[in-house]
Amino acid sequence: MRIATSQYSQTMNTALQTANAGLTQVMSQMASGSRILKPSDDTIATVRLARLSREEAALDQYRSNIAALTTRLQNNETTLTSMQDDLLMVRDLMGWAADGASTPEDVKAMATSLESLRDSLFYSANTRNTEGQWMFSGTASNVPTLQLTAGVYSFGPGVNTQTQQVAVGDGVTIAANVSLQEYGLDVFLNNLQAAITAFSNGSYVGANPAGAQIDAVDGLLDFLSAQVAQQGGRQNVINTMDDNHAAVSLSNKEATLALGKVDYAEAAIRLNSYELAVQATQKAYARVSNLSLFDVL
Amino acid sequence: MSMMNNALSGAIAAQTALNTTSQNIANAATPGYTRQGVLLKSLQAVGGGTNAAGNGVQVSALIRFADGYKSLQMWKAASELGRYDAGQPYLNQLESVMSDDTSNINNALDGFFASLNAASVQPDSAALRSQVLTSADTLVRRIASQQQLFSTQQNALRDQRGAALNQINGYTADIALLNKQIAAAQAGGLNTSGLLDARDQRIDALASLVGVQVVAQQDGTVNVSLSSGQPLVVGAEAAVMGQPAGQLELRFANTTFGVSSQGLGGQLGGVIDYEKQVLEPMQTTVRELAAGIATLFNGQLAAAGGAPLFVLNGTQLELSTTITAATLAFAAPGEGAGGGGNLKELIKLKNSTVVVTQFGGTPTVLGDIYTQLVGTLGVRSQQNQAAQTTAQAVRDQSQANWASTSGVNSDEEAINLMQYQQMYQANMKVIAAAGKLFDSTLAAF
Repeated sequence: MRIATSQYSQTMNTALQTANAGLTQVMSQMASGSRILKPSDDTIATVRLARLSREEAALDQYRSNIAALTTRLQNNETTLTSMQDDLLMVRDLMGWAADGASTPEDVKAMATSLESLRDSLFYSANTRNTEGQWMFSGTASNVPTLQLTAGVYSFGPGVNTQTQQVAVGDGVTIAANVSLQEYGLDVFLNNLQAAITAFSNGSYVGANPAGAQIDAVDGLLDFLSAQVAQQGGRQNVINTMDDNHAAVSLSNKEATLALGKVDYAEAAIRLNSYELAVQATQKAYARVSNLSLFDVL
Repeated sequence: MSMMNNALSGAIAAQTALNTTSQNIANAATPGYTRQGVLLKSLQAVGGGTNAAGNGVQVSALIRFADGYKSLQMWKAASELGRYDAGQPYLNQLESVMSDDTSNINNALDGFFASLNAASVQPDSAALRSQVLTSADTLVRRIASQQQLFSTQQNALRDQRGAALNQINGYTADIALLNKQIAAAQAGGLNTSGLLDARDQRIDALASLVGVQVVAQQDGTVNVSLSSGQPLVVGAEAAVMGQPAGQLELRFANTTFGVSSQGLGGQLGGVIDYEKQVLEPMQTTVRELAAGIATLFNGQLAAAGGAPLFVLNGTQLELSTTITAATLAFAAPGEGAGGGGNLKELIKLKNSTVVVTQFGGTPTVLGDIYTQLVGTLGVRSQQNQAAQTTAQAVRDQSQANWASTSGVNSDEEAINLMQYQQMYQANMKVIAAAGKLFDSTLAAF
């Protein structure tokens, strides 16, 4: 095929441009550390990386939820434990009152202690969190758990036994709250109030009323212990879930690296080969362009 | 005497040949220059019997080394290259914006679902609820900025179409004028090589803007038409193209032709293809995503008796101005203020599906729509780049092919120079020899 003089520079141009484009690509890859600079470099890997990224975001959120939930469960446990302590003291006083050796004056003195314990239980049941929502009202957190009207204790209007479910995994939820309506706390406090009144005005007679009281206290203690145990159980479950999430997250991160990270060794080799091509082409052109018949004529 | 005349004709022929060679050498670097050569023809003897050898040499014509077929190939390659070159910058821009995982719609959608998940820890917390509203606002803004990018590209495409049409009109006018000049020069017996080169270059530039068909006529003019047949140049008449109200049309000699936007080729065809095949389906998909989000979330909120969170204003997704952190319906009907039953359902919407026409009408998971959109864009860009590389190679090859016929080779011209110089010198010597013969004849008296 006949070659025109302009062919040499044309070929040179094309070769240089191709090599430049390749060099720019390699340098961008090495600078950013990522093999895929734009989706068209590797579309399948791009889609996979995007999906891994979605999963990572979800896992991060679940783990942060688990951390927040841990705090909440601990708060529940602390309050319930202090209620348990109060109840143990009530039990002691009841037992003492049931003792036939106590005089009416002693019993009157107990009434005073029992009053403060009753109030303490009332306030504990009405614990609120930092935003002012009642912790033990079920889902009606804008309503006080217990209220005292005309000397009678009752649950607040709308207090229920529903749970607040927290998402800690895909489709996995854990209840975050405890509802005190599950146990007839209002009845218990009203009975306690009646006992206190009886102790104070001396109409208290003998061991049996106190005995019934002690049984009631035991019942409430059992309920509270069960609740505390349940908080511990939930804590264990979410700890396990957190470990699972951490393991999955680690494997996702490894997959992301495998798909998207540039192999520096391979990139360096490519860089070298482009350099070599450019240098060789330049040298060849320098020699060829010197050949001209006009130099000889 | 015939010796003198023969030598004279030889010298004149050599001079013509040397002029042609010098023209070639001078234009060795001129782009689009077609080299010329001389066609030498020996003159037959007129009378003189069997001993008359001939009447010398004549330059019967200047050959223009042009191959019409190679030019056609070159113009076709220019159209193909222009078509793929036109769309690539827009594809690159979309790719770089949409794949940035810290600022795209996927990221905002993740953030929105994250805030809903966080709110499930304490559904009645005012702080967590207002976080939900904030991340919903971010989502709405990201979708809006994506749509803004699309409409900016549409404006740029429209401008580019307008500029291309202007250029096309300029070139067709030039070609028509050149046609007129060439026809006149040919009729007047002048050398039209330079004019032909100029016209070929105009056609090449026109071909990279829009695909053309070129047919040569007897009088030296060419007729140029679009690949769908509408005439662009006939003789000395040129058409004018325009896009009133966004539709392409062509006006030629008081007739208006509508131009279909399919298969135009060249830069014009490339931008139209990009808009119709890439940009518009993507716009539709993002609109369907926005509408899907609004429908799903508002529907779930309404199921619990709550006010809608998103408002679909035509094709724009907006956040409702009347909703507040307190009125978000997170509690299922029958639950107290701290309930999270409806919130749980809202979170589950992540796995619900939306019908997307671009993906063939199959229901696609909400969180996956944008990922698939970016994937589709990536594939499209990859295809365009591959086609671009091929088109560039074809164009380079066709240019090399054209140059192999019409390009100037300096070495070849140097040889010609030597050859015709020697021819001239030899003919001069013949004249000198003829003169000596005449002197000898005269000296006999």
